[in-house]
Amino acid sequence: MRITYQLMACLVTLVASAAAAATTFDKQVDAEARGVVEISNTSGSVEVSGWDKPQVSVHAELGGAVERVEVTSEPGRTLIKVLVPGHSWGDGEAKLHVQVPKGSELHLSTVSANANVSGVLGVQRLTVVSGDVVTEIAGADLELKSVSGDVKVRGHGQSARLYVSSVSGDVHLEHGAGDLEISSVSGTLAVTLDSARLVRARTTSGDLRFEGKLTRAASFEATSVSGDLKVRAPAEGGYSYDLSSFSGDIDNCFGAKREKSGGVGHSLSGTLGDGAGHVRLKTMSGDIELCDRS
Amino acid sequence: MSAPEERKVTVNSLAELPAAIQPGQDLWPAIEARLKSAPVSQAPSRFTRLRWLAAAAMVASVAVGVWIGRDLWPLPGSGTGAPPLTTQHPLTEGAAVNAAYMSDPRYRRERAALMKSVQAQLETMPPQTRAKVAASLAAIESAKKDLENALGKDPSNALLQELLINTYQDEMRVLTDVHEAGDAGRGI
Amino acid sequence: MQAQAEGNAVDWEAALVERAVKGDTRAFERLYREHAGRVYGLCLRMTRDVQLAEDCTQDTFINAWKALAQFQTRSSLSTWLHRIAVNVSLSKRRRATPVLEAEPEEAADDGTGWTLETPVEVQELETAIAELPDGARDALLLHALYGYSHGEAAQMLGIAEGTCKAQLHRARKLLRERLKMEVN
Repeated sequence: MRITYQLMACLVTLVASAAAAATTFDKQVDAEARGVVEISNTSGSVEVSGWDKPQVSVHAELGGAVERVEVTSEPGRTLIKVLVPGHSWGDGEAKLHVQVPKGSELHLSTVSANANVSGVLGVQRLTVVSGDVVTEIAGADLELKSVSGDVKVRGHGQSARLYVSSVSGDVHLEHGAGDLEISSVSGTLAVTLDSARLVRARTTSGDLRFEGKLTRAASFEATSVSGDLKVRAPAEGGYSYDLSSFSGDIDNCFGAKREKSGGVGHSLSGTLGDGAGHVRLKTMSGDIELCDRS
Repeated sequence: MSAPEERKVTVNSLAELPAAIQPGQDLWPAIEARLKSAPVSQAPSRFTRLRWLAAAAMVASVAVGVWIGRDLWPLPGSGTGAPPLTTQHPLTEGAAVNAAYMSDPRYRRERAALMKSVQAQLETMPPQTRAKVAASLAAIESAKKDLENALGKDPSNALLQELLINTYQDEMRVLTDVHEAGDAGRGI
Repeated sequence: MQAQAEGNAVDWEAALVERAVKGDTRAFERLYREHAGRVYGLCLRMTRDVQLAEDCTQDTFINAWKALAQFQTRSSLSTWLHRIAVNVSLSKRRRATPVLEAEPEEAADDGTGWTLETPVEVQELETAIAELPDGARDALLLHALYGYSHGEAAQMLGIAEGTCKAQLHRARKLLRERLKMEVN
C-alpha cells in the first residue's frame, strides 16, 4: 500500500511537472519567395499565413511533452517539424503560427491538429488525419487529403487543378474554378465553382451538391452508391447528359421524361443546347437531380 | 439579335501562336476505354503500396469480362471476336467480382498489409477519428453487399458493375490514404 | 524564382506519373488534361485534319500509357509526349496521303527568329502555315512554335539537322511570299 502511494505520488509529480513545462518557441529564417515550406505537427493546431517578407517565421506554444521544434532551411526549402517522443506522459500538443512568403508552395501534414491556411498563393499539399481544415486558394493547384476532419476551401474564382479527398469529413468548396477531382466515402460534398472545365466526383454514401457554371465542352462526371447527386450546372454551349440510377429517382428542371431501361433501373439522357460538353451522373440507390440553370 | 463581331486577334511572331488547342470534343472517354485493355508497362520491380491498383483494375476487367461479359464485349460484327460465354454459373455476378478480387494474390496481399497498418494507425488516433474511419469502412462494406445483391437481380447491369468496381477501388484508396496520412503526420 | 516554381510543378507531375505507372487511370487523366491541348495543337497543325488530329491525340496518350514506365521523370513530359505525337502524326499522315515530297536544297536558315514585320491575324497566319509543304511545316512547327532546337526538331522528325535547317529556310521563304512581308 505504501509503495503504491509513493508510486502514485511520483506519477502525479511527473505529470504536473510536464504540464508546467509548457513553453513558447520562436524562430525566423530566410526563405525564397517561391520556395517550398514543409510543416509537420502531430497534435494541436497549425495556422499558416502568407506575407510579403522573404522569411519564414514560426511562433509555437508547446505542451510539456513536446521534445522540440525543428526548423531547418536549405536552398528553396524550409522544414518545420514538431517532435514528440513516443509514450510521452504529458501534453504533446503544439499550436503553431507560421508566416511564409506568400508565393510559397506549402506542404502540411498533421494528425490531430486543425489547420488554417490563408494568403498563400502557391501550390498547397495538405494531409490531415483528424483535424478540420480551412484553406484559401488563389489560382494555384491544391491537393488536400483528409480522413475524418471537415474541410472548407475558399477560392477566388481563379482557375486551378483541385484535388480534394476525404474519408468521412464533409467538404465545402466555394468559389473554386478549373479542374476538380473530389471524393468522399460518407461525407457530404458541397461545391460551388465559378467555372468548371472538368469535374470528377465520387462518393459511397455521402451526398453531392454542386452548383457552378461549366465552360464550353466541359466534362462532368459524378458517381455515388447511395448518396444523392444534386447538380445545378448551366453551361456555355450546353451539354449531353446521361443520368442513371438503379433504384433512386431521377429529376430535372428542363422537362425531360425519365426512361425505363430494359432491366431494373432508370435512366435519362439527352442533349441541351449544342451539346458541347457532357454530364454523367450515376448512382445505385441515391436520387439524381440535374438542372441547367443556377 | 446578331452576334457581336468577334475581335480579331493578331500576333507579331510565330511564337505568339497558342501552343495548345483544345479538341472540339472530350477525347478522354475513348482513351479511357482503350486504356482498360492496354496494360501499362511495369517499372523495374520495387515494392510499392499502390501496385494493387494495377492488379485490381486488371482483375476487375477480367472478372467483369468473363462472368458478365456479354454486355461488355464489343458489339457483334466489330471484328474483335467475343469469346463464347457460359450462361450458367453457380455464383451470382456480383459475387463473381468479389471472388475475382479475393482470389487475386496481389490484391489480397496488399489489402491485408494495408488493413494491418491502418489498424495500428487507428490505435494511436483519437477515439472520434477511429469511430469515423470505422464507420466509413463499414459504409463501403455495406455498399459492396448492396451492389452485389442488386447485381443478383440484374446481372448484366453495366451501371452496377461499374459502381461495384469503383467501390472496391475506393476501399483501397481509403486504406492507402489513412495509412499515408498517418505516416505523413508523423513526419515519416 | 520562376525556375523554382517550375521545378515544383515538375515534382507534382512526377508524382502523378508514378501513380499512373502503377495503373492509376485517374492520375493519368490528370496528366491528359494538362497536356491534351499541346498534343492536339501539334497533331492538328501537322495533319491539318480534325479527325486525324483527334485519332493522333488518342493514339499518343495510349502509346504514352503503355510506355510510361520508361519515361524518366527528370525530363520533360511535354517533350516526351510531343515526340510520340510527332511519330503518330507522321505515320497517320503517310497512310492518309502517301505523297513523296522532294527534299529541299541544303541551305542554312538565314533568320534567327520568327518575328513578323507587321502584326498578322492569327487565322491568316495559321492558314499560311497550313499551306506549307509537309516537311517545311513540320520543321517550322517544332522549331518556331514549340521552341525545339534544330537538333531536337531533327531528331523528332527523323531527319538530319542540315535537312531540318533547309526545311526552315524553305518555310521562311514561302511564308514571306504568302504573307507578303519579312519574317525575321
